[in-house]
Amino acid sequence: MSFRKQVAKRILELIVILIVLSFLTFLLMYLAPGDPAEKRLSSQGVAVTKEVLQAEQERMGLLRPFMVRYGEWLGGIVHGDFGVSFKDDMPVAPKLAAGLKNTTILALASLILSLLVSIPLGILAAVKKNSVLDHIVRLLSFIGNALPNFLISVLLMYFLCIQLNLFPVVATGSIQGLCLPALSLAIPMSGRFTRQIRTEIMEQLGQEYVTGLRLRGVREKDILLRNVLRNASGHIFTIVALQIGTLMGGSVVIETIFRWPGIGKLVMDSINARDYPTIMGFVLIMGTIYVVINFISDILYHVLDPRV
Amino acid sequence: MIKGEIKMKKRLLVMLLAFCMILTMTACGGSGEDASSEGSNGDNILRTAASFAYPSLDVHKEYYGWYTSIYGLSEALFRFDENAVAVDCLAEDAVAEGTTWTITLKDGVAFSNGSPLTPDMVIRNIQRLAEVNERFSYFADFDWKADGDNKIIVNTGADVYPMLKNDLASPECGMVDLDATEDFDKNPICTGPFVIKEFIPEGDVTVARNDNYWGGDVKLDGAVFYYMQEDDPKLLAMQSGEIDCYNSVSSAALEVYEKEPDKYVVESVAGTRLQYYILNENRLDDSVREAINLTINKEAIADYLKGTVSPANSPYPDSTAYSNVTIPAVDTDKAKKLLEDDGYTLGDDGIYQKDGKPIKLNICYYAARSLDTLAVLMQEQLKAVGIDSYLTVEEDPDSTYIATADFDIALYCMISDKCGDPQYFIDSTLADGSYYNVAGFESAECEELIKQLKVEVDPDKRADLANQIVQIAIDDNAFGYVGLFNHTTVMKPGVSGFAEKIPFDFYGIDANTVK
Repeated sequence: MSFRKQVAKRILELIVILIVLSFLTFLLMYLAPGDPAEKRLSSQGVAVTKEVLQAEQERMGLLRPFMVRYGEWLGGIVHGDFGVSFKDDMPVAPKLAAGLKNTTILALASLILSLLVSIPLGILAAVKKNSVLDHIVRLLSFIGNALPNFLISVLLMYFLCIQLNLFPVVATGSIQGLCLPALSLAIPMSGRFTRQIRTEIMEQLGQEYVTGLRLRGVREKDILLRNVLRNASGHIFTIVALQIGTLMGGSVVIETIFRWPGIGKLVMDSINARDYPTIMGFVLIMGTIYVVINFISDILYHVLDPRV
Repeated sequence: MIKGEIKMKKRLLVMLLAFCMILTMTACGGSGEDASSEGSNGDNILRTAASFAYPSLDVHKEYYGWYTSIYGLSEALFRFDENAVAVDCLAEDAVAEGTTWTITLKDGVAFSNGSPLTPDMVIRNIQRLAEVNERFSYFADFDWKADGDNKIIVNTGADVYPMLKNDLASPECGMVDLDATEDFDKNPICTGPFVIKEFIPEGDVTVARNDNYWGGDVKLDGAVFYYMQEDDPKLLAMQSGEIDCYNSVSSAALEVYEKEPDKYVVESVAGTRLQYYILNENRLDDSVREAINLTINKEAIADYLKGTVSPANSPYPDSTAYSNVTIPAVDTDKAKKLLEDDGYTLGDDGIYQKDGKPIKLNICYYAARSLDTLAVLMQEQLKAVGIDSYLTVEEDPDSTYIATADFDIALYCMISDKCGDPQYFIDSTLADGSYYNVAGFESAECEELIKQLKVEVDPDKRADLANQIVQIAIDDNAFGYVGLFNHTTVMKPGVSGFAEKIPFDFYGIDANTVK
């Protein structure tokens, strides 16, 4: 099958996956225990009688048949309308858009930071395999990977804000406000990336083509930068692409501690409030992002390594 | 040629890396210019942390009025003092005569735009509140009439309504200039000592002094409410000096503050948020219920919760006149004797049993407001006297164990006093058919007293009636009142007037707040 035909087939699959995902999302919210109307009324301090509850359910459109509601919801999404929040009657789309924008900024910043650290360290550790440097890098990456996010966040705040006075604890929207949450996400991510890059580079270094290049007298540095790194890049790209998907889901802990108005925090608040339209919008968007990123990474993998 | 290209690429790479490093250093380095630098420049802006943030500033909708009150934007006709008594604010007084109330407005009250607060505007505010807030819809049943320049006559219909003055002190009854306000959600024009400067929905709020404040001088130039949900960042922000005060202090942070009294001032008063449990009369013998109440040691529980909770001697704060009830002291020997007298025998496993069936109680709770800790502590205390139990956690108590009454002991947390009056809690938990009276508590005497309470206007007599009603429930071992959450505020030395002595959660800065 030609590359174009493969892409067309994947796009078709992507559309089917998204339709199934939207249906499952809606169905799960429909089946989830707890009544959003009751939740809303009790959060407002209203005594929930049968009549009051029924009126609220009617107002929120919860009494209509399942398929009618699903059809309306899906139709709205096609036109960019994700419905109205059960929590505060505000439109869901602008909330998701704002959260997604902030999460994207945070995700990219943390990804860049961790790649800046993990690519050189991973290569160095692989090249100097079993040296003191390799052991130190492995130990640090193990520790970084093992530390929970909230602990890293609080430690960073304590040392960088209180002890060294380099950052404010209460940062508001500036680039300084981005540094600490990005660093908190980047530390464990760097640990993971470094180990994976080290393994991948070591695998490439053991290949026959590397022995051949060495025998032909090609400089070690050139082998590493021109051949090994290039051949390893496809795998590294896949790891990064998968991580982007995870990062785009937002980090509730980091976002809450650093007051970063990302999508993770929005969704956690929505789950607590049984705000189904926001949760459904989030699941659908995240599903789409995952599928699209996977799709793009597959194509790029093919471009970077035509053997695949 | 190739060599030249490689050199060029190298140079480009070095330049790119250098650029990245410079960018990172300039972006991340330096000494934070945000809140920390503002905080240290000696201005007259109070900075505080708020645990909650909302999408709207519409005073009348939902509970948003609580926050416009905290931000010093809105004021109601009356306000509560330290003893939960409704005192004058925008109105001088409200006097009842049968079903008619006469409210007298203060002279010279004006909105921040200079427009005077008229009786007609008050009535329109009340009508809007009744329309947009279900909890105040009953206001629409009353007849409100303006009388001259400063009086409002309210006829409550066929029934006397004794709580009107207290209800009008609720922050949702804040007055808004309905004619001049263009955006109720983001910039309501109110009468408070501050006006909105910047409002980020579900984020930070900045207010500035209302230069036209009707009540005289406002001591602060403004205030910033940073939305901070987590306890640790609040503690760190307080330590770094970026915020001047905040309330709802966690027990861990409280320990830190109390170690440095020269740096931090801590004020703590018992609030109105009550932890209590319901004993299921339909399932539990009288002796078991009484034994449970004689066993639960609320002092020990409060100690364990390290200053965040005060032991409850009644559902209401001790400072109120309606908290004079008698609760039997902890007596585990008496608890055991009660069980034994009722035919229970102690099994080999140390658990009481009757007719071969050991006691095994279902304690239902939800994991909020320290109820998870409370459930475990109660389980331990009960086991020590021979009452075994298991825990059932639910996410939403209202739609599960409260709705089905499928429990032996149900833990719950609610605000017992919303408006300086005992009736709300009594109506919610003790009246026949009320929302939380789900476990078989019934008393004809209690019902009769509740009827009297509903029409009694005199505050002293109301307190007396409330004490009698609650005492009946205590004597019946229908409930157990465990703890009242403390309203704890931490401040830098010099900060005062942050509602630190008031038991309610809906006050914050006012004209007299200083830093």
